[in-house]
Amino acid sequence: MGTTWYLVLSALLFAIGAGGVLVRRSPLVILLCLELMLNSANLALLAFGRNLGNADAQVFAMIVMVVAACEVVVGLGLIVAMYRRRIPLDVDEARELRG
Amino acid sequence: MIVFVGLGVIVGGAFTALNHVLGPKRPSRVKSEPYECGLPTEVTRTFRFGISFYMVAMLFILFDIEVVFLYPVGVLLNASDSVFVLVEIALFVFLLLVGFVYVWRRGALNWR
Amino acid sequence: MIETPAIDYGALSPIIALVAGICVVLLVGLIGPRGRRGLSSALTLATLAAAAGLLVWQLGEPDADLVAGALRSDGLSITIGLIVVAAAALVVPLQLRDPAAEEAGFGETHTLLLGSVLGMLLLAEAQNLISFFVALELLSIPLYVLCGSHRSRSRSLESGLKYLIVGSIGSATLLYGSAFIYGGSGGATDFTAIAQGIGADLADDPLVLIGIALVAVGLAFKVSIAPFHQWTPDVYEGAPTPITAFMAVATKAAAFAVFARFFITALGPSADQWQPALAALAAVTIVVGNVGALGQDSLKRLLGYSGVAQAGYMLTGLLLGTVKGIDALVFYLAAYMLINMAAFAVIAVRERETAYGDDITAVQGIGKDRPALAWSLTISMLALAGLPGTAGFIGKLFLIEAAVAGNYTWLGVFIVVGSMISLVYYLRVVAAIWMRPAPRLAPAMAGASTEAAGEPGLPRRTGEPGRTPSGAPSGGRCWLVLGAILAATAATVAFGIVPSPLIDFSAHAGEGLASMLGPG
Repeated sequence: MGTTWYLVLSALLFAIGAGGVLVRRSPLVILLCLELMLNSANLALLAFGRNLGNADAQVFAMIVMVVAACEVVVGLGLIVAMYRRRIPLDVDEARELRG
Repeated sequence: MIVFVGLGVIVGGAFTALNHVLGPKRPSRVKSEPYECGLPTEVTRTFRFGISFYMVAMLFILFDIEVVFLYPVGVLLNASDSVFVLVEIALFVFLLLVGFVYVWRRGALNWR
Repeated sequence: MIETPAIDYGALSPIIALVAGICVVLLVGLIGPRGRRGLSSALTLATLAAAAGLLVWQLGEPDADLVAGALRSDGLSITIGLIVVAAAALVVPLQLRDPAAEEAGFGETHTLLLGSVLGMLLLAEAQNLISFFVALELLSIPLYVLCGSHRSRSRSLESGLKYLIVGSIGSATLLYGSAFIYGGSGGATDFTAIAQGIGADLADDPLVLIGIALVAVGLAFKVSIAPFHQWTPDVYEGAPTPITAFMAVATKAAAFAVFARFFITALGPSADQWQPALAALAAVTIVVGNVGALGQDSLKRLLGYSGVAQAGYMLTGLLLGTVKGIDALVFYLAAYMLINMAAFAVIAVRERETAYGDDITAVQGIGKDRPALAWSLTISMLALAGLPGTAGFIGKLFLIEAAVAGNYTWLGVFIVVGSMISLVYYLRVVAAIWMRPAPRLAPAMAGASTEAAGEPGLPRRTGEPGRTPSGAPSGGRCWLVLGAILAATAATVAFGIVPSPLIDFSAHAGEGLASMLGPG
């Protein structure tokens, strides 16, 4: 089994993630979709790395995991702060800054 | 070159178009209410939010995931005897410690 | 047996100084009362000064690969680093009386600011896909937090979340592109190795082509190039003004540095294939930015759109792939930094003094009361429009000259036309300053009327006019802020009349990449 199917899967995941970010309204789900996008890139990286017999990809993927965690924590922190201020958690309603 | 220009236009156009097509149009509130993994999309007045829980959970995620960086060192430790690796790890742990001291002194770990 | 990577500690010293400073500032913020504004600001400035000193020292040293080639210290990275550090140093006094910093704590705010500066220095030096990605995230994540740091203002939180979402889409796109480039170039992560791995014809390998397109899109999100700019005005408006100033200037500088390094080092051999695509983007960006700014009443939104247009001008310097183009880019970035800092600082001061927020009403008629502020804002606006006698004019002149020399005369024409359109909205601000009477409405009334269209039921976005939440006197008369504004303005004019020091400065940048670049 070659790299192709991994790449197809990662492309699908990336597309699902990107679609979710654009369509979904809850910031929590948007964060999930962002994770999906990052992890699809990880999958592609690891598939290439394995195919090429190159370990750089694994290092890269590990760093991406850490970075993704940091991003999620910041996102969650902002969401918690919004909850406390009772701002409706719906990115469509968060439309004060628009246009 | 033409391929490149085409690709630029397509990718750019697709993002903008998707934004416009999929973005802000809601015909009726109930109809457009998606099922968001069981989470209510609006805050109800009585909803209590466990702030302490979230705080600790988020800090856990951070410190937990940082340990990933220790893994490659563990793999390579057998093959290395250099002081360099030791110093690197000591530095890394020290920087984590600075973060930990901050979190601790700031009182984020107090369960309220 | 592991080989110890070759580390050039001398060239790495600015980075080390910043890391040490971050630890100290963070821990000092814990001691004593929360408002440790003096000590933490002083320490932050000291850290920035140390980093700047070390960078200047490195300017004389030969170019060096650091940490096994992951980073590179050369003219480009050092000049951009100095621009970023200077921008941060101008932001620190602005933070002194800022309600957002007051609320979030000075230790925290300054730590995040320094963290972002560290990311920018690393990004300007990045020469490897991995360090590129890490530096980009190190730059962005503190900025997401800083944007949302004014927690009692819902706009600030919203802008933080919005920036986080958009920024992460950009990062993820860029990462996905990096994965494809890694695969397509046979496992190369170093920029030079990528250049060897993919050769001169991009059309050969669809994998690489997709990768490059995605990386370009990711970078375009970060520097707000149309059509990926829609977040810019929103986020700029919502974020606390000092942060907006820093974000507008420093992010752009660092991201353009890596943009240039990636496209010229890694993709240099195929320059004639990506140039037309970037040229089209630059042209679209110039038009979209200038047209978008036309109807804006909020000064921060106006500067946001103007920033989009400026990104288009800068992209012109980049895509030429010549020493002249890179020099012009860095010169323009330095001038843009001075001009924008002065403009945003004036807006921040007026925001605290009046109830109008960043609406254009806030600067109406300040010509009489506050001549220093009025002149600074006037000069900044004229410099952004590119009127002679300012650094903005010289910057545009160099960009156009480089464009003509690089056979992109039509882009030079675009810059000129864009500047002409931009005069309309810049002059509108100047007219408001000098020709309109100062608004005579009672502050409370005015506050209510600007809020009426916005959010009913939520607290007003500014506190009592002229007062920060803690009741300290307004920052308007703070001498440090005024000094920073006047210094930036004076430099704008001085470099407009005698540009040679800044020309020499930006010439270092082109030298750094000279081996990769064509002559001219």
